[in-house]
Amino acid sequence: MTGSLERPVIPAFELVDVHYAYPGAPALQGLSLTIEPGQRVALLGANGSGKSTLLRLLDGLYFADRGTVSAFGEALSEARLQDDATAFAFRRRVGLVFQNPDVQLFCPTVFDELAFGPLQLGWAKDEIRDRVAATLAEFSIAHLKDRPPHRLSGGEKKRVALASVLILNPEVLLLDEPTAGLDPQSASELIDYLVKCQGSGRTVIAATHDLDIVEDIADRCFVLQSGRLAASGAASEILDDAALCRSAHIAHAHYHRHGDAVDHHHHHRHTSEAAHGGLPQAAAPTKASQTS
Amino acid sequence: MDPSRRQRNSARAVRAERRDMHIPDGYLSPSTCAVGLAVAAPFWYVALERVKRLLQTRLVPLLAAVSAFSFVVMMFNLPIPGGTTAHAVGMAVAAIVLGPWAAILAISIALMIQALFFGDGGITAYGVNCVNMAIIGSLVAYAVYQAIAGRAPIASTRRVVAGAIAGYVAINAAALAAGFEFGVQPLLFHDATGAPLYAPYALGVALPAMMLAHLTLAGAAEAIITAGIVAYLQRANPSLLQTTAMAANDQESERQRIAAAGGWRGTRPLWIGLGALMVACPLGLLAAGMAWGEWGVDDLQSPEVRQQIAQASGNIAPPEHVPAGMERLASLWTAPMPDYAPPFLHDANFGYVMSAIIGAGLIVLIFVALSWLLGRAPRSRARSA
Amino acid sequence: MAKMGMCDCGPSYAGRRQRGGAFLDRLAGGLVHAMDRALDADDLARRDGLLQRLDPRVKLAGLLGLIVVAVFVKSLAVLGGLFLVAVALALPSQVSLSRLARQIWLKVLAFTVLIALPAVFLVPGTIVARVPILLWPVTLQGIRSATFLLGRAETAATFALLLILTTPWPHVLKALRVFRAPIVLVAVLGMTHRYIFVFLESASQMFASRRSRMVGPLSPSDRRRVATATAGVLLDKALGLSTEVQLAMASRGYRGEVRLIDDFHATPLDGVALAGFAAIASAALWLQA
Repeated sequence: MTGSLERPVIPAFELVDVHYAYPGAPALQGLSLTIEPGQRVALLGANGSGKSTLLRLLDGLYFADRGTVSAFGEALSEARLQDDATAFAFRRRVGLVFQNPDVQLFCPTVFDELAFGPLQLGWAKDEIRDRVAATLAEFSIAHLKDRPPHRLSGGEKKRVALASVLILNPEVLLLDEPTAGLDPQSASELIDYLVKCQGSGRTVIAATHDLDIVEDIADRCFVLQSGRLAASGAASEILDDAALCRSAHIAHAHYHRHGDAVDHHHHHRHTSEAAHGGLPQAAAPTKASQTS
Repeated sequence: MDPSRRQRNSARAVRAERRDMHIPDGYLSPSTCAVGLAVAAPFWYVALERVKRLLQTRLVPLLAAVSAFSFVVMMFNLPIPGGTTAHAVGMAVAAIVLGPWAAILAISIALMIQALFFGDGGITAYGVNCVNMAIIGSLVAYAVYQAIAGRAPIASTRRVVAGAIAGYVAINAAALAAGFEFGVQPLLFHDATGAPLYAPYALGVALPAMMLAHLTLAGAAEAIITAGIVAYLQRANPSLLQTTAMAANDQESERQRIAAAGGWRGTRPLWIGLGALMVACPLGLLAAGMAWGEWGVDDLQSPEVRQQIAQASGNIAPPEHVPAGMERLASLWTAPMPDYAPPFLHDANFGYVMSAIIGAGLIVLIFVALSWLLGRAPRSRARSA
Repeated sequence: MAKMGMCDCGPSYAGRRQRGGAFLDRLAGGLVHAMDRALDADDLARRDGLLQRLDPRVKLAGLLGLIVVAVFVKSLAVLGGLFLVAVALALPSQVSLSRLARQIWLKVLAFTVLIALPAVFLVPGTIVARVPILLWPVTLQGIRSATFLLGRAETAATFALLLILTTPWPHVLKALRVFRAPIVLVAVLGMTHRYIFVFLESASQMFASRRSRMVGPLSPSDRRRVATATAGVLLDKALGLSTEVQLAMASRGYRGEVRLIDDFHATPLDGVALAGFAAIASAALWLQA
């Protein structure tokens, strides 16, 4: 917890002792956490730790077997979402970008994909056309308007996916493994976007494996392990805790190369210097530290 | 041969072999095509209503996924014992996994995409193709599968065999229907010179030709793919086989419930269908000729009718003399309403419909009587169940 | 961008010409070919041509109407005229004769000849010639019947191809609404088309990965197993995908009522085109009587 003076603010999400199980496989086993509005949050954890399940609970697609999930101060339950008005209001306020682009992009063309959300929420057709045109321009995908999804590159698919969710201007943006499968250029564009979200008022919750980007895209991290909250805190705190990273299976040692960067700055931990493979002589790493 | 040439050759072979089931444009007259659409429409309507109720928001993605699957599977070149290859439609797979109604829709959709987008299978013949493959195929496959699989455990070999047989029978039923549709064309539709306007082969040639290809090649392909997929699902994802297995049990208890309650609800679609068919039967009057095989003694003696019979039978002339047995039995039974025309009515069309109503009514009466007689014992069993 | 095609393994591909490999080639070849053709159609639909400029609704009504007329007419001359109309529409729409020949004419010819040729000998009627040596009778009615079959098949297929090559598929679907097609149908068709490509790619990849792992030839029962296992995996994927897509749709507000929006703008040219189609159809029907 941040520990500073807080005005009573309705949390964006509040989970209390949430349990959720797939047939034959428990996913969340007593998860409790709170996400404040406007925060940028990263969900970390190994595969099977419950990150995707959590995102779907937050989006009102799954409902907890036990425990409570609250969104914007009100309980998020299947019964409440039966009502059309409540459901539409909620859907407008929370958007989820799925990991698999084949799932996220299910419409015949990019235009249809962007128009889908507004159509479901019952906007006027002219307004939809205008809004779609504006969003296409905003994401620089106007030239892709009539393309079917199978004719898009990975990076283009991600932009379309984001655009189709953000066209509704949701207060909360949920992202499941946003940089997975993206080429470096597209990934860095996405990261830039998420960086800019800081202070925009939009709550961003991203589940990710990619430790390199966590400090850029998130102010706060939650580490999930076996369906429970193993740790929470500022991104740098979590990443500095090597023991935690190892036990939660989120750290990894790998070989990579830096260019002629004078300022050598990386965000993850190496198990040994040798694994680092050829550092350019000049710079002392500003944030790196060896594990003892 | 460079890879792209080889690829094109194989693709050409793929396309040529795929044609035996899908009827292209120009082989069926517009009226046949219209009848096809008219017959398919009520099934589509009922199927959509039932599936909508069952699936709700899952309807659109599920139908799309299964139709896409069916479409892709239709392109596989399956090796048949004997060395050749053939294509399967996947009608039995769809029926086993989704149940008959959703299968009807999924296959109809795959057929529409084949016809419109990929240009295989006719656009005008769409209704007829759906009746053959989507409707007859799915319903027959489902019935055969349930009959043979019964209440066998999900993982049993019996289900695999049931799937194979269901696929085989279903595609042959579809082929039979198609052969019939081909075969009546020259009989009904020809131009001034007598040249057939559409499919030129009479029943005598069309039926054996269609059935031969399907009883052997296409039937084997369908059986193989159905058995293969059922076996795969038993290992990989048995819950998918669960839905239709449970439905069989549901139907059993539902049947008992209906029998106990004298259910009208469950059978309402059938009554509506029956009514529609009754109204539609004057279409039979379109048949200017004569149903093949339904000849009376006088027909065999009249020269014009003999000429028609010869044409319909692939140029084989009927026997010179009326067969003795036929003559003997001809006078045995005088029908109250000969030739579907009640004697007191003068308008042939109206008479046709009337005889349909009277005929259907008689059948219904008989079944009501039978079920009343038989129903008393089972009803007490159902109550205690 | 997404360029699909046979894996370009080069020398190793040519070296591994086993029977099993050939089988997988054929299995996969048809799939890849279908994808390529679809992408091709997509490109053509974006070029500037006569038919491309028309509103999809007009094209759908007009071209489908002409197909129905082609199946309807009882005169060979009128049928021939309709075929010429199809060719006349193709050329200014950037659809070359060679493409027409390659994509349908030859294909339909090959198939129809198989079916129609025996008719020339089998249909009863006035004999006009006899095949030398075999002395099979060639009847006038047989020839006419075979010509009708071939003519109708080619004409209908040409019109259908023109529709598909000059109109992006999603527009064809939305135009179906003009014929009062149920909205659920249009939505499902659109999504099916989308997922056909996903599954075609999946299946091709499965075959390619099998081929790369193969050492010896495949026995027939092995081949069957490959085919059915791939189909099984595909079905599994299809059903799994449908559940995920349902969630994705729900996440954006889908509650069961399908809604569509189109981007069609009818111009005066469309009015002229519609009148033109109607005129051709009426002329054909009147002339053949």
